[in-house]
Amino acid sequence: MSDELRLPALEVHQSKGRKLYSFAVDGKLLQDFVTVSRVRRGDGNELSGYQRPEALAHIQEIRAYLEAPSPLIPNSIILAFDSRVRFEPAKGKTSLPYVRTGTLVIPLEKNIADPDKPGFVVDGQQRLAAIRDANIHRLPVCVTAFITNDVRQQTEQFILVNSTKPLPKGLIYELLPGTDAHLPSPLHRRKLPALLMERLNLDEDSPLSGRIRTTTNPTGTIKDNSVLKMIENSLSDGVLFHFLRPERAHGADVASMGEVLHHFWAAVARVFHAAWGLPPKKSRLLHGAGIISLGHVMDAISRVRNVPLIPTEAQYVEKLMPLQELTHWTGGSWNFGNGERRKWNNLQNTPGDIELLSKYLCTPYQKQASRSL
Amino acid sequence: MKFFLPDSQDLVDPSFDFENEQRAKDRRRQRHDLYAHEVFSQPAFDGFLVSKGMVDGFGALGSRYTLSQRLRLSQIGAPEFFRVNRAPHPLQIMGDCGAFTYVKEQKPPYSVDDVMDFYATCRFDYGVSLDHVILDFLPEADAPGAGPRAVPAAIRRRQELTLEYASEFLHKHTRGRHAFKPLGVAQGWSPQSYATSVKRLQQMGYDYIALGGMVPLKTQDILRCLQAIQAQRAHGTRLHLLGVTRTEHIEEFYRLGVASFDSTSPLRQAFKDAHDNYYHNGLTYTAIRIPQVEGNTSLQQRIASGQISQNQARKLETACLQAMRLFDSGRRSISKVIEVLLEYEDLYAPDAKRNHAKDYERTLRDAPWRRCACDICKHLKHHVIIFRGAERNRRRGFHNIWSFYRHMRDSGTDTHEFTVGQQVAGLKERACRTN
Repeated sequence: MSDELRLPALEVHQSKGRKLYSFAVDGKLLQDFVTVSRVRRGDGNELSGYQRPEALAHIQEIRAYLEAPSPLIPNSIILAFDSRVRFEPAKGKTSLPYVRTGTLVIPLEKNIADPDKPGFVVDGQQRLAAIRDANIHRLPVCVTAFITNDVRQQTEQFILVNSTKPLPKGLIYELLPGTDAHLPSPLHRRKLPALLMERLNLDEDSPLSGRIRTTTNPTGTIKDNSVLKMIENSLSDGVLFHFLRPERAHGADVASMGEVLHHFWAAVARVFHAAWGLPPKKSRLLHGAGIISLGHVMDAISRVRNVPLIPTEAQYVEKLMPLQELTHWTGGSWNFGNGERRKWNNLQNTPGDIELLSKYLCTPYQKQASRSL
Repeated sequence: MKFFLPDSQDLVDPSFDFENEQRAKDRRRQRHDLYAHEVFSQPAFDGFLVSKGMVDGFGALGSRYTLSQRLRLSQIGAPEFFRVNRAPHPLQIMGDCGAFTYVKEQKPPYSVDDVMDFYATCRFDYGVSLDHVILDFLPEADAPGAGPRAVPAAIRRRQELTLEYASEFLHKHTRGRHAFKPLGVAQGWSPQSYATSVKRLQQMGYDYIALGGMVPLKTQDILRCLQAIQAQRAHGTRLHLLGVTRTEHIEEFYRLGVASFDSTSPLRQAFKDAHDNYYHNGLTYTAIRIPQVEGNTSLQQRIASGQISQNQARKLETACLQAMRLFDSGRRSISKVIEVLLEYEDLYAPDAKRNHAKDYERTLRDAPWRRCACDICKHLKHHVIIFRGAERNRRRGFHNIWSFYRHMRDSGTDTHEFTVGQQVAGLKERACRTN
């Protein structure tokens, strides 16, 4: 038994011989007439299809988003139809030469095998899979389609839509604090660090004000990634962990976290004032290794007893003083013990060097902690 | 007898949702996760064994700890880091240097001071002296007339080195007035050489001695060594078996002076062993394999290349999970469950020499998790028997630890005579009465 789906649609003449159709349809219905053409090699080694497999973890993320209240998917799914699909223009004249309204007629067949369906997904298979799996009644989506019997055209479009350049990470981090949506897990985890970094960079009374290099602050000299790493370390194993508040906005007592960071870095600026004013090339203090290692020092100091939960700047200064004679941010050489000596600038932003420097800088607090027992 | 669990940061995420296979978005590794002792309301082991090699990582073997975690461990100490106060009974922590991580080196990469420092800053209850593992077992060297040439110099050197370290370790332990209880390590290549090591360690003043390098030995060889040691063992000298669990010989070990041992095998068997994945009352069962379509590399490759349909794989995976759910609520027969399990197995492991039909039948027929009294089985139900992903597999490992400990306790090797940490004083007087 055959049937038809009739959808109100726009036909757009884009260029010579190229027409696009734009319409809306419930995403749950799409499976009845659309399939995915998976890439594979046949017996004669010839290539067929073009789509990759579904990315299940990615689909899960989209699905969780769709199941949250009032989701929005603004971008269109792109489909390629074969010539069994037709467009019936509406009666009457349209005022624009390149667009007309009408009805897109899609043949529906019960129990049709996948390869025989009239439509193929060129872009949006993960979204469609998420809509298919989601525990929702329906979700109308915008679709842009073209009609062709030539699989080459589909393949071309598939390559074109999927070979765009991803956004620079730095820009994403800078945008993150301004979002409220249900974000994919990796981004969700970076949201709080990004927010705290934003505070450090923008607050006028912040010791790092304007000094972190981001997309909108290209003159900053400290790498955004180093600051994020420093904050993330403290959120998982250091002082900032104690201010996580799952019930609050951002899941944290952001004000207190900001205070801790301000106090500590202001103290760093005072204790190492000479090295503080210099660019990373002339000082290892504001270099990735310095920032991340000092983050560990912040956590170590905050762990020592007899210090209230949010140490004051003065308390941090006092605790940082012993490091003055141990550090060589701008000249001389570091003596890490066990014969390990390094020229001041021979410390790189590598896990090995960060560990070496962090352990070295944390040593005084270790002993203090054991003594205070 | 005391059972120490070697730490390799094995935790489970309590926020994991087994139906949807998702975790809480704000979960932080280790901080929000649970160790085995935080999961059970009854004791499942007596303490942790924490290795320097495991914490620091050595060579190509990276650390299981992040740098932040390592720093936190050294600053707050192991008892707080491992949250031992949340255990149903007091846990002790033993430190060792993790000699297997550097077994290929000529000399250990650490000094006695490094190791001492590690134990002191981590605030362990026990510290094992620095050692160098001997992998070879040459019992023929004990035969009368076997000259010194029967044992290569490099092997002798390792034993000598280990004894020198032990002497230095004890000396520095006394001088530094460390709070942890020292253990000397005995390394050997034969029953007699182990006995000699033990004798010399006792002469130095050790009354708690760890036996190293026994992991690869056959149980009979371990017993031969213990018997040889028995002749040298002073009254009151306790032994610790490093990395050895041979559950069927626990009682014999106990009679031969073994006061404690450590092993990861109950945990690891849950997801490493081909058949013995689930412990129950001294028996073992094969877990039901339902691998994740996304997470099984060979399956993933065949899907990406278009050789098999992802849809088909997912359908079978879901059908298997559903079948297990229905089985556990009594709405699906064993044969129906096995049918779908094998259909999926044909897809993800088409080259397997033999299928799991027999093993699965036994597992499902006995359904041991329904009779297990541990907290994991009570809450997790059939999920505990499913071989799939770290959250299920590690929980099954935790169950095994609990089950093994129970079994051990029931075998009559229970001793309560030493609890270092709380009662350091009076320890010597109360030292082990092993016979």
